[in-house]
Formats: sequence, C-alpha cells, structure tokens
Amino acid sequence: MKTLQLEFYKIKRRKVWLTMLAMLSAQMLWGLWALRNPGDRELQSGWLVLLYDLSMLDSIMLPTMMSILASRLADIEHKGCTYKQLKTLRSAGSLYHAKAVCGFLIIAVMLIIQFAFFISLGYYLGYEGNPDLKYYLLSYLLKLTANLSLFLLQLALSMLFANQMIPMAAGLGGSMTALLLSFVKTSSFLPWGGNLSASLVHADWNPDARIITYFYRTFSTREQAAVVCIFVWAAIFYVSGRIMFTRREL
Amino acid sequence: MHNSLYKTIRSESMKLKRSPVWLAFFLLPVISALFGTFNYINNQGVLTNEWYSLWSQHTLFLCYLFMPALIGIYCSYLWRLEHTGNNWNHFLTAPVSLFSLYTGKLFQAVLMSIAGNVWVFLLYYLCGRLTGLPGLPPGNAAEWLLCGTLGSIVICCMQLMLSMAIRSFAIPIGIGLAGSTAGLMMTSLGWGLYYPYSIYCMGMRANNPKLELNMPVFIAGCLAYIVLFSVLSVIFLYRHEQ
Repeated sequence: MKTLQLEFYKIKRRKVWLTMLAMLSAQMLWGLWALRNPGDRELQSGWLVLLYDLSMLDSIMLPTMMSILASRLADIEHKGCTYKQLKTLRSAGSLYHAKAVCGFLIIAVMLIIQFAFFISLGYYLGYEGNPDLKYYLLSYLLKLTANLSLFLLQLALSMLFANQMIPMAAGLGGSMTALLLSFVKTSSFLPWGGNLSASLVHADWNPDARIITYFYRTFSTREQAAVVCIFVWAAIFYVSGRIMFTRREL
Repeated sequence: MHNSLYKTIRSESMKLKRSPVWLAFFLLPVISALFGTFNYINNQGVLTNEWYSLWSQHTLFLCYLFMPALIGIYCSYLWRLEHTGNNWNHFLTAPVSLFSLYTGKLFQAVLMSIAGNVWVFLLYYLCGRLTGLPGLPPGNAAEWLLCGTLGSIVICCMQLMLSMAIRSFAIPIGIGLAGSTAGLMMTSLGWGLYYPYSIYCMGMRANNPKLELNMPVFIAGCLAYIVLFSVLSVIFLYRHEQ
C-alpha cells in the first residue's frame, strides 16, 4: 500500500492525469463531431451505436494510450536511474505490482470518465430510452480488462527497455494491428484484439438499403474463448513482466 | 554557417548510429500496406479505380492516424538524449548557432520522413503488382508523394517543437495521436489545409486520390507552418539558454 501511495506521489506533478484526459478529449471531440445531428434511426438505436463506436475507437486509440501511460510510469525511474536504489528498499516484485495497480486505477477512472461523457452525450442528443445498465456495466468491465492487459504488456516493455522508443513503437503497431483486425474479424485471440472481442454490439451493413442495423451480439464458443483470452493475456503479461523485471540485472 | 550546420547534422547522425529507430518506419507501413491490400482485394466490387483505390486503402489510416504518431516517436527520440541528465548544458554550449542545432535535428527528422514516404510508395507499387493491377501507378502519384512529403515536414517541425519543449518521451506522441484524430474532423469540416496534422493527408490525397488540391494554398500553408514552428523552436532554444 505504501509503495502504491509512493507511485501516486511520484506522478503528482507529472501530469499523467492530464495526458490521459487530453487523449480522452480527442475521443470526446470525435464523439461531438461524429454523433451530431442523429437521424430517427440513430435516435432509436443510439445507445447501441454508442457502445459500438466506443469499441471501434478504443480498439484503435487505446493501445497507443496504454503505451503512453506505461511509459510515463516507468520512464520516471529510467530517467532518475532509481531502479537499483528502489530495489534495495523494497522487493522488485512489489515495485512492479505498485506500478501495475497505479496504472489499473488510472485506466479505471479514465474509462468511467469516458462512459460518463458518452452517456451524457446520448441523453443530450435525445437517444430514445435509457442505456441498458447490464450491458454498459459488462462492457465497462470487459474494456477495463482488455486495456489492463494491453497496459501490462506495455508496462513490461517500458520497465525492461530504457529506450522508450521500443514500447511506444510497439503500442503504435498494436493500434495498427487492432485497426486491421477490426476490418477482418469480430473477435481475436491477439492481445490487441481485446477491445474488439469485448464489444457487445455488432453492426450489420445492408448495402442495398444502405442501412446499418445495430444489435447486441450473441457470442459463439470461439468468441467466448476470445473473451476469456483477454483475462488470460492480462494474467500472462502481469506474471511474465513481474518475473522478467525481478530477474533483471540493474 | 555552412560548416556549423554540417557539424550538427554529422553529430546528430552519430547520435542515431546503431539505433533501431528506423525499424518502426520500416515495419509500421508494412502493416498498413498489408491491411490496405487485404481491404482492397476484399472490396474490389466497390473499389473499382484500380491504382487510385489501392492508394487510398494504403494511405488512409497511415496518414490520418499513424504517420503523425510515428514521426512523433522519431522526434521524441531525437530529443531524448538532450532531456537526459545535464545534456541540455552540453547541447547549448556547443560552438555552433542555435539555428544550426535545431536544423541538425530537423534534417534527421525530414530525412526519415522522406524515407518513410518513399517506403510507403514502394510498398504501394509492390502490392499493386502482386494484386495484379495493370500497368504502372498513375503519373500523378509522384505529385502525391511530393506533396505528402512536404506535409510530413510540417508534422516534423511541429513534433520537434513539442518534443523539445516537453521532457516526457510519450506526451508529444500522445499529442500527435490526439492531433491526428482531431485532423479527421478538420478534414471533414473542410479545414484540412489549415490544420498542421491534416496537411499531410491532404498532400498524400489519402482520402481521395483524384482530389484537386489548391496547390498555392497548400504550399503556402506548409511553408507558413514550417517557418512558424521552426522560429518558435529556435526562440524556445534561445530562452532555454537564458
């Protein structure tokens, strides 16, 4: 707990929150622009559209955002060359754990802000009815886990490589991979496909009528396995990152 | 002046020696090209303009979202050494002008962005041949490449300025990604030529290869931004020195 408190103390003036909020603002601006002037069909299925659009947006943007967050948390130690000293005061594992929990809390709050904004936007635009609480809550939890797994992957890279270019390029590559996957598949076993697998809404494009129909998806066995895979990736990245960091010679 | 400029360019090259930074510029466009080609092959019923359609599929997301962030990574890397320890003191006390110091960095960033754009073009040509497109890419593809390169120099100047002013490696890249996301909006609103992060996409004709670009406005906009960001960067260096 003390180590976790220290993590928050370290980032106090590093504007990590501000960075994440700035990235969220880009999503919010996009939402304000893309969802403006909804037609009758959009108003009817607005809450479904929101969940679908958020999944697409997060699939593309969050891998890079997670790499930025992880880099901000790890780079402070690389720059100050503090790893050796920190390891003498507490175990390397607890330091890694504190950074992981710190990142997890930031992601959790970030996603709450994101959901709160887009739900408020839905009410402002006059979407019919209310958001389905069960689906929105489930979507939040799955998204949280999917992004936690990406964060843990990036944290491992950022803690292992002093040169932050490598994890940042990996994050950007992850965003591109997620974009590629979103055009090809509805779910994926790759870590960057987590946001895609976690999407609870599907869209069906009718080229003749030029209409998109949104609906809550029913998960096939394969898609269910892809959702389970999100949790497996999170566990793998946490354990492997922690082991590699603990054994790393500083 | 020429001598000091040569020295700074040489010293920046030495700093980048054996650095794997070029790998990102090599690999990420490959992902984009694979994705673009795949998308083109699967939608040939809709994408009927052959080389033109393939170009838009190859460059759309790369130019709108990823290239600015990729240039951001490179620019952050260029300034990383200066932000470490007391290296700002060493950097600013070098016996060359501040303008030369800045130009040395800019030269490297521009060189890499040119290489990146040429690589994007080569991948486009190779994928076009592999998908069996007839003939050669259209003649005006050279213009897309040239205009795109000029647009990418604007992003280089912008990201260099941000990476110089912000000590963090990651924040300027985040700004680049957020800026390019906002660029989608700007382009859609018709302000693409006036917004630094979307000038590149406009130049590359990422959205519409047959787009008639207002060339005087495009070139004037690029030059204005290049001068503006460069002057601001040199002023920042000067104030940093005080």
